[in-house]
Parts: sequence; C-alpha cells; structure tokens
Amino acid sequence: MPSPAWAQRIDSIPPWSAAVRTIAIDERLAADAGLHVGDMVVLVAEPGRTSGDTVRISAIVQRRADPSEVARSEYRIRMHLGQLQDILGYGDRVDRYAIATAGGAAADSALRRINSVAFGFHAYPSREIAVETSKTFAVVSRFHRAIGMITIVASATFLLCIMLLKVDERRRDVAAMRLMGISRATVIRTVMLESSFVALLGSVFGVGLGFVVSAFVNAHYQAVYRTPLRFAIITTGTVTYSVLLSLVLGIGAGALAARRLARTPPLTLFGR
Amino acid sequence: MRFQLAALSLRRHASRTLLAVLGVAVSAAMLLDMVMLATGMRQSFASLLGRNGFTIRVSPRGTLPFDTEATIGQARDAAVAIERIAGVTAVAPVLGTTIHVLGAANPVTAFALGVDPAVQGDYQLLQGQHPTANTLVASDALLHATGASVGDTLDVAVGFDPQLRTYTGRRRVVVSGRARFTYLSADDRAAALQLASVQAMGGADRTDRVSLFMVRTAPNVDPEAARVAIERALPRVTALSTAGAVAEAEHRLSYFRQLAFILGAVSLIVGFLLVTTIVTVSVNERIGEIAIMRAIGVSRAHVVHQIVIEGIGLSLAGAASGLILGVFTAKWLNSILRGFPGLPDAIDFFLFEPNSAFRALALLVASGIAAGIYPAWRAASLPISGTLREEAVG
Repeated sequence: MPSPAWAQRIDSIPPWSAAVRTIAIDERLAADAGLHVGDMVVLVAEPGRTSGDTVRISAIVQRRADPSEVARSEYRIRMHLGQLQDILGYGDRVDRYAIATAGGAAADSALRRINSVAFGFHAYPSREIAVETSKTFAVVSRFHRAIGMITIVASATFLLCIMLLKVDERRRDVAAMRLMGISRATVIRTVMLESSFVALLGSVFGVGLGFVVSAFVNAHYQAVYRTPLRFAIITTGTVTYSVLLSLVLGIGAGALAARRLARTPPLTLFGR
Repeated sequence: MRFQLAALSLRRHASRTLLAVLGVAVSAAMLLDMVMLATGMRQSFASLLGRNGFTIRVSPRGTLPFDTEATIGQARDAAVAIERIAGVTAVAPVLGTTIHVLGAANPVTAFALGVDPAVQGDYQLLQGQHPTANTLVASDALLHATGASVGDTLDVAVGFDPQLRTYTGRRRVVVSGRARFTYLSADDRAAALQLASVQAMGGADRTDRVSLFMVRTAPNVDPEAARVAIERALPRVTALSTAGAVAEAEHRLSYFRQLAFILGAVSLIVGFLLVTTIVTVSVNERIGEIAIMRAIGVSRAHVVHQIVIEGIGLSLAGAASGLILGVFTAKWLNSILRGFPGLPDAIDFFLFEPNSAFRALALLVASGIAAGIYPAWRAASLPISGTLREEAVG
C-alpha cells in the first residue's frame, strides 16, 4: 500500500466521523469527476457491482513527479490497507512491504536477515528495483543522447560554414592590414578574436533561448500529462558544455579561415 | 547556359559549397528522420492492431487491455451479447495470467494467454499444432528457458502462494507447437493454452472470466458504430476501436511526435538559413560581375534564374545526401528505441514512407528556392552604373 507521505497534501479536512471511513483521491480524479473534499462516494471492486463501501473524501493529493507514471492516465485513490483488503476480498494479504532502514550496512544486513528467515517471499534492495523499473528511461536517455549528437553535428556544420563566410567577407580588410605591414600572426589573432567573440555572443543568446524553450517545454508537457514532473532541466554542466563547444567550433573555424586568408597574397585578396 | 553559370559559381568556392551541402544534408537527414518518427509509430501500431482483422478490443470498464489485472466476469454471456451485435463476425476471448513451469530448481515464470484457438489473434504458429485441453504452444524464449522442445511434457502451475508454496492449479501439458506472439517481444517467455484450461487452473477467481475480447467486424461495417453498440449492450466494459487505441497510444507517446515536429521544423529553418547565407554571401562577392552582366545586356530574369538555380542546386545536393544519411541514422535511432522493455517485435518507431519522405525533402528544396529569391532579387535590382563605379573604385 503506497504511503500518503509520497504525495503532497494540497487540501484536507479533519476526519468527519468515526463511522464513515475516509479516502484521499488524486487531483486528476477530483478535476475530472468534479469531486471535492467532503463528498461521499461508493467504492466497488469492479464496475456493475451494487454493493460497495461508502466513504468520504478527506483529502485531494497531488501526483508524484514520477517519470514512470507520466504516460499512465489512470486515477489514484489512497485508502486504508484493511479497507482495500475488504473491498477486494483479498484477506490478510499485501503485495509488498516497503522497509525503511538506517541505510548503508544496515540495509544490507536487514536484506540478508529477511531473505534468510522469510519463507515464501524475497527482499530486494530499492536500487535493484530502481534499475529494473528505469529501463524505459535508460532507452529514452540513449535516444536523447543520439538526437543530441545529430544536433551537434548539424549545428557544428552550420557554425563552421557561417564562420568561414564571415571571415571570408573580411578579405579586403585583411589585404589592407597585410599591405600596411601588419604581420600574419597578428591578422590571424585578430580574426580569431573576432570569431570567438561572435561565438560567445551566439552562445549567450543560445543559452537564453534554451532557458525560454525549456520553460515552455515544461509548462506544455506538465499540462499535457498533468504532472509536476520537470521534463527539461538546464544544468550548469549543460550550459558549460554548449558554450565550450560553441567557442571551440567558432575559434577553430576562425583560425582555419584566417590562416587561409593570411597565406593568400594581399593583392589577390583585393582581386587584382 | 544558366545552369552552367550556376554550376561554375558553386564550383568556384568548392570548400564552401561542400560545407553548405553537408550542412543541408544533415538538416535534411534530421528532417527525414523526424518525419519517419512522426508517421512511423502511428502506422506501425495501427498495422499491429489491425492484424487478423480484429478491429475492436473490449476490456473491463475504465481500463485498457492488459493495463491492469481486472477481468470481465460472466464472459460466456458477454461473448454471446457481443456476437449478437450487427456487423460482428468473430469474438476472441483472451485471459492473461502468469504461469510457472516447474521441474527445475527455480521455476521458470512466463506470461500465459488463455485463448480460443479457432478465432485467436494473439500468436502465429511457427511449428506444430494449436493448443488443446492438455497442450500448449510456447514462444522460443520460453522453450529456451525451459530447455524444452515440441513434443516435450511440462509441469505448469498457476496462482502461486509464496507462503504455503502451493498453486491454485497445476497440470502436466505437452508442448504442441512453437509460436510467435504478436503483441509481445521476442524475448518474452510466453505460452498460449486453451481458455478453459487457464480458467480452470486459476481457480474460482478465474471461472468464466476473461481479460479482454478481441472483436472482428465485417469489412463494410464501421467499427466505431459496433464499438458504441458493444458499450451500450455491456455497460461494464470499455470497447476500444483500432483508431481509438492508436489515438490513445499517440497521446501516451505524444512526446515523440512533438519532438519530431519541433526538430523537423528546426531542421527546415537551419537548412533555409544555410542556403540563404551561402547564396547571399556568394551574390555579395559577385556584385561587380552581376553589374557587368547586366551592363552587357544580360536580362534581369537571367540573373535571378541563375542565382535561384544555385540555391536549388545546394538544396538538391543536400537533400539527396540527406536521404541516404537519414535512412541510416533512422535505423540507428530505431535500434535504440527498440530497446524499450516488452516492445512487440512488429513495432517500429521509424518507418520509411516514400510519400511522406519525399514530401519533406520537397519542402526542403522549396525552402532552398525561397532562400535564393531574396539575394537574387537584390542582385537583379542593383543600379548598374553606380555598382560598376563602386566596384571599379573600391
């Protein structure tokens, strides 16, 4: 039986009566069925049954930000264990126990002890279950990385192209500088400085755009899937990686184009 | 002549042209992949559900097939009620459960389907016979896990009670065939038995119950009308047509469709910007030449055509390379997404649909044409004498 502590209580009232049992429902069910705190509902094990358990809604809870629940559209009800066992005719049975330990060695020791004495069931560490249940997200993560790689190749090509053109446009300026006696090294450094400045400006703009887009993505998918889960998170690592990549590409492209220009005789650059 | 001049102009800056074609190719590949992703899931899923002509799935009210452990009671009466509905040609009951193949130190657990072999649509027989009262057909994964083959006898049980180490039902069955399960992955251990066998082994909880009905309708009947009639006849069930199931799957996977749309649009914009930039810079460099061409009597239309042809050339070369690149990257991306646990073998996320693919690439080429129009118009509108003077002096 999932613990109510997993969900955030957003609205509640004290128990109404000892005679009528209370349940908590998720906000999705409350919104779709027009239910409110204090409403009486009848719970049955399956549709069509006439007899059921009349209960009062005592709380509306928010769904957890759990990726594994994102695509699932069913409603959630939290009730007392005994109440659910009665409704289902399940007897004195549970699906599983969640066990809190002091962590570390205590968890391993508890695990060993339970598995050595328990007859008929098996204890698993939470991390093992997490690995098993997160296989779907591992696939999605691999897919994102692959898409990211393709995007990086596309943007790198684009950036390289733009930088080469940008430097190429400066052929007359470079020719003038060379004719004035400015050294090849200074010309290359100047062009590289310019290209790195352009790359940096582009990166700053890109990071800003990234924040706006991620805010939009989060707002959109939180509304679509009705979940508080954050779908796009921009981390310091992501920002650093993208800015560095952009700078390296920008400076690399600038250096490549500048070297080519600096080696060309100034008069040829002038078109003479 | 115009084509030759455009080709010469592109060849003059070979490295720049090559880089632009590469950029457009990557954009085109991305666009193609995203189109394949957007159309692939829908078609692949619809084709999977439409196999064997079953157009409607009936599950316990408020649930999707096999989404929960809920079952439909009084299954025989329900099947009769569905069969009576106009347009329904066959009703295939299915009961899903977990079976344990005993014998080894650790029992092998598998997913079992109780079916009516005469109308079932859950598996394709690869070898042997359909299941009878005391036989089953198994997937290759189950046969491999148990070390059994067709003709061997297995000790199978249902309803394991971990405390008492007992089962609600247990029987010895002969493996009568090998099968490929349509809605399961090749790695899933699965078996199909007769519905009555699974119900009997499940004990009182499973008597006259099924997980779902698959319903086949006549070709001239609207499945939606039959679906509504089923829900009206049986208020305790939810009937889902193939179109409804595809819509539900699309909702659950809408993330991928929207990602495809966004990345596809970004690819198109990047391709457009790249061609515009290249052609604009190329025109800026040749302002003097263009002014001379105009001065010696070359028409404005001729100049515009030549520049637009350059844009089309870049886009076409990029789109052609992108087509090849896109097909390969789609295979790679599809192999990643095929790693989803439990995904049926028949599902592909990226599906090459010639019409959609060529429409997308045509859109990219059209954007290439549009990209050439502005620089072409600018070049053709240059004041001839002023430009010649500036270029000569400058």
